[in-house]
Amino acid sequence: MTNDTDLEAEIQRLLTEHDRIAEQGITVQRRDHLIVLGGEVESAQRRDEICRQISSHFPELEITCDIGITRAQAPSEVEEIS
Amino acid sequence: MIRIAAVGDVHVDKDVVGRYRPALEELPDRADTLLIAGDLTRHGTVDEAKCFATEFGGLGVPVVVVLGNHDHQSDQQDDVTKVIEDAGITVLEGSATVLELNGHRLGVAGTKGFGGGFAGACASNFGEREMKDFVGTAERYAEDLERALKSVECDALVALTHYAPVPETLVGEPLEIYAFLGCYQLGRSIDAAGAALALHGHAHAGSERGRTPGGVPVRNVAHPVIKQAYNVYQLLSEEVDTTLVGAR
Ligand SMILES: [Fe+2]
Ligand SMILES: [Fe+2]
Repeated sequence: MTNDTDLEAEIQRLLTEHDRIAEQGITVQRRDHLIVLGGEVESAQRRDEICRQISSHFPELEITCDIGITRAQAPSEVEEIS
Repeated sequence: MIRIAAVGDVHVDKDVVGRYRPALEELPDRADTLLIAGDLTRHGTVDEAKCFATEFGGLGVPVVVVLGNHDHQSDQQDDVTKVIEDAGITVLEGSATVLELNGHRLGVAGTKGFGGGFAGACASNFGEREMKDFVGTAERYAEDLERALKSVECDALVALTHYAPVPETLVGEPLEIYAFLGCYQLGRSIDAAGAALALHGHAHAGSERGRTPGGVPVRNVAHPVIKQAYNVYQLLSEEVDTTLVGAR
């Protein structure tokens, strides 16, 4: 059984190195009885896959997912560089 | 005046195709070119490169990109580059291109870059072979960038990298991983050559704005940082102002 300190590292390596995920920007935070996932990904499928993989690798954990999908609308402003 | 649209870290695969397209269709009304700061794909496969080319090809404005670390994940970066170039997109690596836009010449020099860290917390070219390889790699990318920047004649010059040239645009990332997000050598190259703007990605949790030690504006355009399909930056607007003043 993984200790608390290594758990974050294990989750992050799973998310980076798993061949269907490859996400490096996901944050892992502990609450009392809960792991909270944060960050943003490019699609809902990716978010769901992350939660699915963590649940299946760490079935004893209760997970809640605050991962967002990065918005992709056109900008309304221009920044002048000087 | 030149308007540059920029984004990085789009990490395209099948599931992303179509997401950017509505905003990209509007791009020619808002900008003269699109620069993409690496991590074009998820794992750097040829299939993903085709998805990227579908999503970002045929825009009606020139598109210039560098690769990112994700685009190297499958050791197929040469094939990835070819697929993207076949779609009419310019891929830079230690090289430069000049675009004629609105009567101005925009020079863009690019490289993926590498990590290594920043002043006070950087790796040294010392010790084990692996460490010397790591630092040597960063230095080689930075030298290539400097050479590319210095090779162009243009009215405005932009440095395009995946890794960060300064630490300010990493704020928000854990300090412990700064050395994997960029290196000061890239900033030094940009200052040595001089540029109007430096664009990078890679730091998904970083911040948008910084400057090199020499004062060049730096923008982190990683998609999760800018939170829209692309940002638009306007260059050479002072020439427009000068003309208006002179005409009075
Ligand atoms: Fe990325
Ligand atoms: Fe990256």
